[in-house]
Amino acid sequence: MRVLRRLVLVWLAALWAGGAMAQGTISDLPRKETLIAENPEGTIKNPGWFNIWAINAGGQSTGLQQLAMDTFWYIDPEHGVDGVWDNSLAAEKPIYNADFTEMTVKLRQGIYWSDGVPFSADDVVYTVQTHLKNNGLRWSAPIQVNVAAIDSPNPYTVVFKLKKPNSRFHALFTVRWNAMWIMPKHVFEKAADPGKFDFNPPVVLGAYTLHSFDPNGKWFIWHRRADWQRTTIGRFGQPGPTYVAYIDPGPPDKRVIAQMNHDLDIIHDTSPEGMFTLAKQSKTSHGWFSGFPYAHPDPTLPAVIFNDQLEVFKNRDVRWALALLIDIKAVSMASYRGAATISAIGVPPTGTTPTYYHEPLEAWLRDFEIDTGTRKFKPYDPGTGAAIAAMLRPSMGDQIPTDPAKIAAAFGRGWWKHDTQAATELLQKAGFSKRGDAWYTPDGKPFVIHVTVEGDGRPVMTRAGSMIAQEWRQFGIDASTTVAQGTMADRRAAGDFEAMIAWSVETWGGHPDLSYFLDSWHSQFVAAPGQPQPPRNWQRWSNPDLDKIIEETRSVAFDDPKGIELGRDYLKLVAREMPTIPLMSYNVFTVMDETYWTGYPNAETAPYTDPVPNWGNTRYMMTKLKPQP
Amino acid sequence: MLRRNREFVIGVTLLTIVLAIAASSIFAPYPSNDTFVVPPDVPPSWAYPLGTTSRGQDVYWQLSAAIRNTLLFGFTVALISRCLSLAIGLTAGYLGGFIDRVLMSINDTFIVIPLFPILVLFYFVMRDHMSWFLLALVMACLGWSYDARLIRSVALSLRAREFTDTARFSGMTTTQILLREHLPYVLPIVFSTTMNNINWSIGLEVTLSVLGFTNIDTPTIGVMIYWANQHTAMVAGIWWWIAFPVGLVAITFIGLFLLAVSMNEYIDPRSRLSRLRT
Amino acid sequence: MPGYLAYFVRRLGQFALVVFIGVNIAFFVTHATPIDPVEQTISAATSFGSTSPEAIAQMRQSLRELYGLQGGLLEQYAVFWKRVAVFDFGPSLSAFPTPVSVLIGRALPWTIGLLFVSTVLAWVLGNLLGGLAGYYRNSRLLRLAGVLVMGFHPIPYYIVAFVLLILFGYVWPVLPISGGSQMNLAQGFDFRFIVSVLQHAILPALSLVLVGIGGWFMGMRALVSNIVTEDYVTYAELGGVNRPRILLSYVMRNALAPQITGLAMSLGGIFNGAIITEQVFGYPGIGSLLVDAVHAGDYSLVLGVTSVSIVAVSAAVLLVDLLYPLLDPRVKVH
Repeated sequence: MRVLRRLVLVWLAALWAGGAMAQGTISDLPRKETLIAENPEGTIKNPGWFNIWAINAGGQSTGLQQLAMDTFWYIDPEHGVDGVWDNSLAAEKPIYNADFTEMTVKLRQGIYWSDGVPFSADDVVYTVQTHLKNNGLRWSAPIQVNVAAIDSPNPYTVVFKLKKPNSRFHALFTVRWNAMWIMPKHVFEKAADPGKFDFNPPVVLGAYTLHSFDPNGKWFIWHRRADWQRTTIGRFGQPGPTYVAYIDPGPPDKRVIAQMNHDLDIIHDTSPEGMFTLAKQSKTSHGWFSGFPYAHPDPTLPAVIFNDQLEVFKNRDVRWALALLIDIKAVSMASYRGAATISAIGVPPTGTTPTYYHEPLEAWLRDFEIDTGTRKFKPYDPGTGAAIAAMLRPSMGDQIPTDPAKIAAAFGRGWWKHDTQAATELLQKAGFSKRGDAWYTPDGKPFVIHVTVEGDGRPVMTRAGSMIAQEWRQFGIDASTTVAQGTMADRRAAGDFEAMIAWSVETWGGHPDLSYFLDSWHSQFVAAPGQPQPPRNWQRWSNPDLDKIIEETRSVAFDDPKGIELGRDYLKLVAREMPTIPLMSYNVFTVMDETYWTGYPNAETAPYTDPVPNWGNTRYMMTKLKPQP
Repeated sequence: MLRRNREFVIGVTLLTIVLAIAASSIFAPYPSNDTFVVPPDVPPSWAYPLGTTSRGQDVYWQLSAAIRNTLLFGFTVALISRCLSLAIGLTAGYLGGFIDRVLMSINDTFIVIPLFPILVLFYFVMRDHMSWFLLALVMACLGWSYDARLIRSVALSLRAREFTDTARFSGMTTTQILLREHLPYVLPIVFSTTMNNINWSIGLEVTLSVLGFTNIDTPTIGVMIYWANQHTAMVAGIWWWIAFPVGLVAITFIGLFLLAVSMNEYIDPRSRLSRLRT
Repeated sequence: MPGYLAYFVRRLGQFALVVFIGVNIAFFVTHATPIDPVEQTISAATSFGSTSPEAIAQMRQSLRELYGLQGGLLEQYAVFWKRVAVFDFGPSLSAFPTPVSVLIGRALPWTIGLLFVSTVLAWVLGNLLGGLAGYYRNSRLLRLAGVLVMGFHPIPYYIVAFVLLILFGYVWPVLPISGGSQMNLAQGFDFRFIVSVLQHAILPALSLVLVGIGGWFMGMRALVSNIVTEDYVTYAELGGVNRPRILLSYVMRNALAPQITGLAMSLGGIFNGAIITEQVFGYPGIGSLLVDAVHAGDYSLVLGVTSVSIVAVSAAVLLVDLLYPLLDPRVKVH
């Protein structure tokens, strides 16, 4: 007994002592000058490794690519600080010759590495030649496939000679989340093997250098350079935060708690419920939208991706029927609790895409008809976005916008009608039959669909998949979910799925060119069943009309308006053929806390970049952030 | 027993409540797998006595299905692994020598194999064909080793005792000695280890479910917590989604514990007598 | 004890055999994973960037060579054992080319520190309470303590951990809820760092102890209630020996043997890591290292961690077997 009592006393004393010596979040650093952001990579296994050119040897979004790296051009996923296109290490846009076999880049002068050495064409030439010579580096493969040789006629110009015509070769050096970064020649040439060199501490072109890091991989702290004017973002002013810390804050609930304690300034992503809790309980936290749906729509398009090589999905009518069985309002509620931006067409409704694609196609969509076998039917319902807003208004009140343009921006425009009758007709037209409560394929076998979802790693998509499977199940199809968890990448590449919730469409965001993803959809890249499929045509769909569109796009320049027309042709084609069922944009619940910092990007007044802090473009946010007085 | 042993009464009552809830799952008005059948996030009220989840399911009906599946799972694992550990532990402890060494080497290999990677790999390989029974079988085969050792150490001490020699000299066979003489000594430990085992298997099932390595379509206590997690129920304030499953598991366990303890006392004649005396 | 030396040698041999078999099983099981580390690396490297399909095919080939996955299973088996003989597990496939031993070496001290303290604490407290509860049957206080302890035991660990997190990290924020030590504090054996480590360890340790006590409590209580009815205990009571002395020297000492077995096994089990603890409290350790490795299909790292765990648990079992005959004089060794 006495022993017990003594033990309890010891515990209490320890607790009190601990409380008395309670430490702040960071030791020895001024909290008011430090920005703390979440690194979605979590805990880095090998934190002392900063050689980003070796594949996956260390962390990437620990602040390394967001603050320290640099390359020729940046395309913003939103509107950009000074326009969508930024010439960073390059002084002008890429200069191609007539048949796209040569690309000339004029480099910016007056840029210095963090150790005082000036940046010049030597660094670029060294970077490209190292990748030509070594096989296992991150960009070895695209360089070796495309580049025949690289020249430098003077210290501020480089000329790439390409192996074959490629009108989008510059995309390799254009940041949309990341791109091929430039290595410091004077550091790497001393290393024996560039793939096995840890580059610790890193010598950088960006405005921040490494201050300290956790040997157990949980935090990385970066310090603004004293000579920040000699970097490429010096043009936009002094970056606000003196220190930037990227940390692993743990599971989604813990991130919410951390921000409520004001120990985490930017949450990368959390659950919709976590977002609503923060919106309700914290006056200083806000998302990209000031009201519902709060989230930032990433330029990615989650969809139901069919394995179009499977017999049962080869018929377009079957795919259309399955699309008409989906009630997107229920899917939006189940996955995002309504905070989703839906899209009926094959591009995500983000950045500048609505202006170039969604608005102009609205008229075509309203008149679009399909033949169900018994009648002609107009499947498009232009009011779905407004219907979702109306559903949410009773419980969310004035957080839901009323202006139609704002509703379209926040919730999306229309989607396909939820019509079980038309779906029945389409399935029957395809030879399917219903006996009792269950549907059967033309060869008499039960119609079974396994919907593959990722599981824990993507909870919102998992919920969407569960809802879709349930809707198909209620119609009479034997549908269920399969959780792929860690095997998602393998199964997706191997084609080991029937239908899955994933995305095969990703765009620049700020720029309307679709070749970023569309080029890889050409039939020349479609793998035979059982062979690994290269990204991004996960649905393994080939179509001669699509090939024509892609080939024509290859022959026009990046900024040519003809490219936008071809993009619209692509959208009409996939609306007719429905190789995948587009659902919504990938909404990221990035939450920013205004307790210590102000000037974050937002949809209404400051859409100068996206707030998601693991993008290379995040460095532009640093120039706009100012400490709270 | 009902008359004299209060612990027994409480234990039986608690377990009856739990079993009744599990049995009531037959009457569920909606399939346990469907979502958004009722308005989500409703706190406990007259219409929904235990509230509803963020997925639009009634907590009571989910809970009844979940506890039924979890109990079935726990009992299956415990039953199979108890038989295995008793058989191996008693035999090894009594017979000794070469057989003991062989059995213990096998036992040690099983103890030494790290559980988690095997279960996770099993899940990945089985994937679409994964069923609860298969998982229970695998866990039982991995869970007998620890307790077999415990039983063996008791058996070792028992073998050295006089009454064992007496039994042997009076002509009992090995099996008879094991079953009639040694088993009653071992049973109290077996009971507490059964409880431990049920707890361990349910705990492991919850761990696997929370990490997402199970079939998330079939409700069990672990899967309920998994979904509550996915919807960050704790920070969002939907406490009833977590509190009720946890409470029910605690009641189950306490009931089982009280039952085991009181039955223990009853079986061992000396403690039964001492209870009568006091 | 006459045959002890021979027994010792035999047990040592058994230990080596078990470790060998265990590591072999681990090798074949981890290589049966359907997750391809090359595919995982490619997917991670290309998930956001723009890529061309031809480049991917080439990348796949280069990575296969780099990771040494060219040869068949038997070749890799031979290479593995050649390396393990010098305690080298090879490079990690998901953090190439850092050696697996380096990764484990960084995470292991945290796991050992936290789990050793929590396990021992839970054992001591659980056995003490269990012994008292089993002996002083009629004490209401002890019965209540028993119910409390038992009450915590079945609560899934995740819930206990999270509730503690909310209580002490948010409602009454006196304790840190993330990390092994404070941010920006250099690691070293100085006072500030040690205090920081202790502070960060309080919540995880508390959660582990609360959930762990129950098992020991139950076991000890059952054992003690068995022994209490023995003749020599009754004799001592009648003879007037004071009760606490009977409890400690007569009853608990005889009950300790199986509990020590259990403690040794639990200590061996430390090397499995506490995955959920690490997830909830963001505590660095080998549990999350293992989960990451399994997700990435990183055979080398999974093998490394499981081999360490196999050796540790086997050693614990060996220790128990060697000590048991010395503790219980009734056991004859032959």
